[in-house]
Amino acid sequence: MQKRVRLAAALVALVAATAACSSRSDDSGSGSGSSDKPIVVGSTLSLTGIFAATGKIHQIAGQEYVDRLNKNGGLLGRQVQWKVLDDQSDQAKVGQLYEQLISQDKVDLVIGPYATPNILSAMAVAQRHNYVLPQHTAVLAPQLTYSCQFPAWSYGPRPNEFIPTQLFDAVASLPDAPKRIAVVTSQSGSAAFVTDGFGSDKTGMLTIAPQKGLQVVANVHYPPTTSDWAPIAAQVRAAKPDLVVNNGLGVDAVNLLQAMKQLNYRPPMMFALFPAPGPLLGLGDLSAGTLTTSLFQPDQAGKLGGDVQAIVDDFKTRATAAKLPYPVFETQAAASWNAWDILADGVKAAGSLDQQKICDSLHADGAQTTFSGKVTFDPADHNFWAGTETLAQIQGGKWVTVWPQDKAAAQLRGPAAA
Amino acid sequence: MTIAQAALTGALIGGLYALMATGLSVTWGVLRVINLAHFAMILLGAYLTYQLATSTGLDPILTVLITGPVLFVVGAAVQWAYDRLHVAEFTSLLVSFGLLIIAIQAVTLIWSADFLRMPGDINPYATESWTVGRFVFPVTTVLAFGLALVLVAALHLVLRRTFAGRGMRAIAQDRAVAAAFGVDHQRLSLVLGGVAGASAAAAGMVFALTNALSPTAAYEWFGIVFAVVILGGIGQVVGTFAAGVAVGVVSAVVSAAWSPATAPIVLFSAIVLALVLRPQGLFTLRSVVGAGR
Repeated sequence: MQKRVRLAAALVALVAATAACSSRSDDSGSGSGSSDKPIVVGSTLSLTGIFAATGKIHQIAGQEYVDRLNKNGGLLGRQVQWKVLDDQSDQAKVGQLYEQLISQDKVDLVIGPYATPNILSAMAVAQRHNYVLPQHTAVLAPQLTYSCQFPAWSYGPRPNEFIPTQLFDAVASLPDAPKRIAVVTSQSGSAAFVTDGFGSDKTGMLTIAPQKGLQVVANVHYPPTTSDWAPIAAQVRAAKPDLVVNNGLGVDAVNLLQAMKQLNYRPPMMFALFPAPGPLLGLGDLSAGTLTTSLFQPDQAGKLGGDVQAIVDDFKTRATAAKLPYPVFETQAAASWNAWDILADGVKAAGSLDQQKICDSLHADGAQTTFSGKVTFDPADHNFWAGTETLAQIQGGKWVTVWPQDKAAAQLRGPAAA
Repeated sequence: MTIAQAALTGALIGGLYALMATGLSVTWGVLRVINLAHFAMILLGAYLTYQLATSTGLDPILTVLITGPVLFVVGAAVQWAYDRLHVAEFTSLLVSFGLLIIAIQAVTLIWSADFLRMPGDINPYATESWTVGRFVFPVTTVLAFGLALVLVAALHLVLRRTFAGRGMRAIAQDRAVAAAFGVDHQRLSLVLGGVAGASAAAAGMVFALTNALSPTAAYEWFGIVFAVVILGGIGQVVGTFAAGVAVGVVSAVVSAAWSPATAPIVLFSAIVLALVLRPQGLFTLRSVVGAGR
């Protein structure tokens, strides 16, 4: 009798062990593409907190991408499931949540969060676990040193040179080109490098302007928490610039334009680096002619062809349903889409979920993105590809691509026309 | 000229700081509640202003006629809850911080986390100003200054000249003794909580006139509002107004003459120094120390 019990126990143990082994092989063997289990992509997004307004754009764009991907058969013959956690715009939580996604939830793939500080936190965890990290919006190339992070939005390896040069070349093409500029810079790490350079590389607006024959008549730096814009507006007004460059974020440009208007002053031309696009349009005539850097505007849909118009339209439906005040598919959503393209292309090229193979194939073959075309990744440049960005300008109450000329949907307007 | 103009607009925006700080100061000084939920009420006031103005076309300044009574009730209800739960001074800091977080999340769910701004046709005040000689007076900051002046004068008169005001000051000094003399603590604290709520409605309205709204804006007010409350003397309404103006002027002048980046360093260094020299608050007379507590 005792012998039978022992035998039964041994049998149960054997069955249990076999089941455990087969379950483990399902996980580890997911790269074979033979499993029916969905491929799980993990990430965080700032769905609450200070980055939430933009985080939600990435959530809607990402979900739209995954839905389309699954409709077209998924990846490696498997459906894709996106597990997104709310990092509450807290950099400290980002690392912790990516650690959870990789170590405990054992997601197959990861994709970046939104906002540079959060991306840097996620990158450290991805690097520790050798996970490939396509990321949407961090453009400061020197900071992103992990060889398997892949940017979806790039100004090339030196964004502090690309952005000022593109802006100054564009305005120099105007018949009444500006000669005097005021540079008003947020001390945020996501913006200040465009004015002052980064680390020992001091190249930026302040050094490039004189090379382009522009005189910097005011150079004002302000903390990201600035609430009283009148002193800054008074300084700009006193300097009488032809062009005001606001290297700031979010609603900084709105606040500055409004404060200047309250002092009965309107600058002849204005540039805003990374503005929240909706509130600037809400200023009406006051913001007409304002320029910004742009990865994509809907006026490019015809030029890009393919599914782009359908993607833009579907996003609008989803964003309107989600009550986004500015439900337009533009730069942020395009960056998000590019990141998913890079991830999907890497997996397809590798033919597996093996992280090293995905990383190697992206380095070897690059990726085909919907909004920036074919991009290649050189580890020597921290994988930052040559910038394809444009300049957009508010014309007729909407953002319109105006530079470079081969991508322009309308002509760049100077101070008089604006 | 730039510095003089900056000093002028700084003084006027100091009115907004005072408007935001007065309710917090009196509830702290008189009721011994450090009510961080006051920031939530300012936020709610701003969003209700936005909602009423954009959905009904009501002049945004007139929305305070609706939001004022609404937030009076909210302020009184919050104070009632503090009293019922016997929330002490230090505990109130934690409890009200929780309320603030809940309010921010609720605002996010209702209005989304995106920036919301009243369009120019509904809110022309955002860019309007009056010019007197060589100086420009932005309408919104003049409004903030005027409202703060009215609020502070009214509260000062009530606290100094009326029986209810004397009762509140008695509560601040010794609640038990005040009760022995027939002062109804609960009723007075409800009224004061309500007044603080109504002042938050006015502050929120002025904020919404000039700024794009986002739920996390509440966090950005902490530093400057607490600086004004402490510098003005806790519970001292006239001191709070003077401190608001002083903070506005110093911050604006340093921004214009030097750099906005150095303004917080200079401002908060000056505040630390002032409080080392005058711990009772820069604008509190020694003879009235404790009178408002």
